[in-house]
Amino acid sequence: MKPPQLADRLLKFCCAPHRLEEVQGDLHEEIQYQLRRVGKPRARRQYWWNVLGFILSFALKRKSIEYSTTHLTNPIMIQNYFKIAWRNLWRKKVFSAINIAGLAVGLATCLLIVLFVQDELSYDRYNTKADRLFRMTMHIRLGGKEMNMAYAPALAGAAMLRDYPGVEAFTRLESEGTFVIKSGNERFKEERVVFADSNFFAVFSIPLLKGNVKTALTEPNTVVLTESTARKYFGDQNPVGKSLTMGTKGLFRVTGVCRDVPSNSHFHYDFFGSYRSIRQGEKWLASGSHTYLLLREGYSVAQLAAQSPNIVRKYMGPEVPEFLGMTYDEYLRKGDRMGFRFQPVTDIHLGPNWENELEANSDPKYVYIFSAIAVFILLLACINFMNLSTAGSANRAKEVGIRKVLGSVQQQLIRQFLSESVLITFLALVVAGVLVAVALPTFNQLANKAFDLGTLLNVRLMGYTLMGSLLVGLLAGSYPAFFLSSFKPVSVLKGKLLSGVRSGWLRNTLVTVQFVVSIGMIIGTLVVYQQLRFIQNKKVGFDKEQVLILHDTYVLGDKLKTFRSELAKQSQIVSASLAGYLPAGRSNQGVDGFRDVNAPTETVPFRLKTYRIDEQYLPTLGIGVALGRNFSKAFSGDSAAVLVNEAAVRQFGWKNPVGQRITTVGDGSPGDRQTYTVVGVTKDFHFESMHQHIAPLIMFYGGDWYQMALRIRTDNVPALLKMLEQNWKAETDMPFSYSFLDERFNKMYQAEQRIGQLFGIFAGLAVFIACLGLFGLAAFTTLQRTKEIGVRKVLGASVASIVALLSKDFLRLVFVAILIATPMGWYAMKEWLADFAYRIDLEWWVFGLAGFLAVAVALLTVSFQSIKAALVNPVRSLRSE
Amino acid sequence: MKRSYLGEFEEIVLLTVAVMEGGAYGVAITHEISEQTGRAVRLNQVHAALERLEDKGMLKSEMGEPTAERGGRRKRLFTVTAYGRRTLQEIQEVRVSFWARLLNPFKPATSL
Repeated sequence: MKPPQLADRLLKFCCAPHRLEEVQGDLHEEIQYQLRRVGKPRARRQYWWNVLGFILSFALKRKSIEYSTTHLTNPIMIQNYFKIAWRNLWRKKVFSAINIAGLAVGLATCLLIVLFVQDELSYDRYNTKADRLFRMTMHIRLGGKEMNMAYAPALAGAAMLRDYPGVEAFTRLESEGTFVIKSGNERFKEERVVFADSNFFAVFSIPLLKGNVKTALTEPNTVVLTESTARKYFGDQNPVGKSLTMGTKGLFRVTGVCRDVPSNSHFHYDFFGSYRSIRQGEKWLASGSHTYLLLREGYSVAQLAAQSPNIVRKYMGPEVPEFLGMTYDEYLRKGDRMGFRFQPVTDIHLGPNWENELEANSDPKYVYIFSAIAVFILLLACINFMNLSTAGSANRAKEVGIRKVLGSVQQQLIRQFLSESVLITFLALVVAGVLVAVALPTFNQLANKAFDLGTLLNVRLMGYTLMGSLLVGLLAGSYPAFFLSSFKPVSVLKGKLLSGVRSGWLRNTLVTVQFVVSIGMIIGTLVVYQQLRFIQNKKVGFDKEQVLILHDTYVLGDKLKTFRSELAKQSQIVSASLAGYLPAGRSNQGVDGFRDVNAPTETVPFRLKTYRIDEQYLPTLGIGVALGRNFSKAFSGDSAAVLVNEAAVRQFGWKNPVGQRITTVGDGSPGDRQTYTVVGVTKDFHFESMHQHIAPLIMFYGGDWYQMALRIRTDNVPALLKMLEQNWKAETDMPFSYSFLDERFNKMYQAEQRIGQLFGIFAGLAVFIACLGLFGLAAFTTLQRTKEIGVRKVLGASVASIVALLSKDFLRLVFVAILIATPMGWYAMKEWLADFAYRIDLEWWVFGLAGFLAVAVALLTVSFQSIKAALVNPVRSLRSE
Repeated sequence: MKRSYLGEFEEIVLLTVAVMEGGAYGVAITHEISEQTGRAVRLNQVHAALERLEDKGMLKSEMGEPTAERGGRRKRLFTVTAYGRRTLQEIQEVRVSFWARLLNPFKPATSL
């Protein structure tokens, strides 16, 4: 009878090999004995029982040192791997340095970008209820024009809470612009002021350090300060119960102190006034607050979104005739619509920029672009590593041969090479850590973030970093490891190294990939810079040089007019205008509905941007008049006159714009509807950023006191500023502040400028890493061809021909890379430019230049090695065999 | 004197090997023990004990002849080393001296 085979096999698998024979013999003898005694079934059962007993007891104790087995996790061997790796690194210092430097730069870049991306993705996640917190936004299509508002009617929140049981709470934020805040004798201009509902601190997870969460903002004229603002105004004193004067809103009592708003929030305010301190809107169509809804758990936002048409019909429908002169159904029939959407708070920061966002949102595109760059740069560094290791294989081939002859199996060699690459990666990681620490301040400036080393040293990020580095090490090491360990000992020891050279096609591919990435990034940088230059030099329709803006001139009150005429008398000041509305930087904004008086009554009014300017405005900003005339004091009827820009003329479709009459829609009350006569047409000027086409603009007469624009003509700006400040101080004790129009203009494109700079830096790094690799590779190939070069020289080859011979191979790769990178770069940059209404055309020379730069850099890198090799006296290279 | 102490089962295995004089190998020892002591002994326990004893230097072993019923496999034959023998003797002596000092030796219970 045969013993159970499965049990036998199990035993064979588990038992130490040197004990197998006797154990199995005993077991077989036993089963024969038992077979005679107790019969087959019990004998078999006992056999199984015995085998299991063996497996559980001593069979596990394998004897290991008797002869070499493939014990791959033996600590002694691993220790040995690292020792050999270290010696190898030390022996080839230059290549180790190239390897480590490339990887370190790659890892450092990657780390910085990961920090950036992680921060971008973490916006508003500090809210413990973030998953059920939604922002209600309003979306209107009026006269074919889409309007997406980041806010909702002020009354909407309460209505939602009343009508839908799934809504647990709502809270609103409303900003009323800048305030001059007085505390005792100190006064500061504060921009980060907002008015919030009393439950704001219960809905958003911004903890209140002092004061009662429930009652802090229930009364009118109460305010909660952030920690650092409280310190700024009251030092170490307890601010609760103290009061502040907030602009024209009067005295506010401080009722609480909250923690500073986290940097990764879609709003950053220092003052939270109670919502009841401000005028409450009573119409759905003429009020707006940023409205946040907290849903009950398990209530899906889709249910709420489906209710949007009902909400609009119930609450806004009745108001439509008052504002638009037609019933809601007529309005719908025209193809227009209104609706609400509910946007998760965590989506706001990387979402679209709608009208009246609390802060400009960032663009998810840049998160993708930077993630891609991080991956690319890391890829470049890995490729370097692979290339240098396989190219250097000639030198390691003998070692592999000897190891194999002495009994190493491939598994062991793979492990050896992998531990080598992991060691290099971790050395690089240490260097990368230092690089990051050094580069962090610059990076913060560029990316407009505030990271410190603390952000880097958090446990989770460290864990990910270590895991990532291990992965990079294994990945980068895997190809060389498998390649090197597959050498046949017979051929490598005989001196045939051809296998090492033949793997050239893979190395070539990798080098090409490196240059595709580098060239792509050079193209990107060039295009971004070109577009920025284009924007900055484009004729914007106004003269932004030599215009000085004084801020907050409204504080002068009635004295402003005399202040202005005083200034206008100065020889350095050409003209002075009340300019609350400006085409760049902080400006008032106005929007109103307009209807052509002669148009039939059912036409939908146009919703157009408005300015309020005085007669000095156009000359001060250098805006040209195309038709008609500027406002003038000489005409008494100018308060009922308007100027329009050319875009507005096109919108209304006027043949003779001057003399046309338009009427405003206003906020619905009968007195708010007024008729104006067009007296002039200005040339189009960019009153918004270049991302948008120039929109129609209506300019009313009557300067806005918020700011004052001065056209100056002087070489001595500091003296002028000093004079202005003295004049200002003579009138008021409010802070004096100013800016220049061209600086404000440039600031509008800060995001693009930052992107341009970052792109430039990353492109530089990519090229640097690629060149490091190329340098190492060139060094290896020249080393391998030393004899060939010697022979060629003996036979009469010139230095130039040898340099050409050695560089040719690499240049061919770069040319292939240019061919691949050009269409890719062209497509990517076309997409990026599509975002600008005014943009450059992609010209061929950009691609030419990028290619030329790549070739030049590659040539420089390679020629250093090849010239060195070509100049060597052949006697030296041929002397020894 | 320092020496390795033996567990009770090890002692029995060692004794059995000594008794079997050259014919001692796994199965045979197992059968001998279960016959003499009447307890259910498992093959792997015996093997483990044999290995321990060999490690301690009280047994030595060599591979014997293959037999048909073992599927042509050899058996490992154990013999007791001098050290093993001495250890057994010492154990015996210690026991005897203790028995000798027993003032009231256990008698078979003849009367209640």
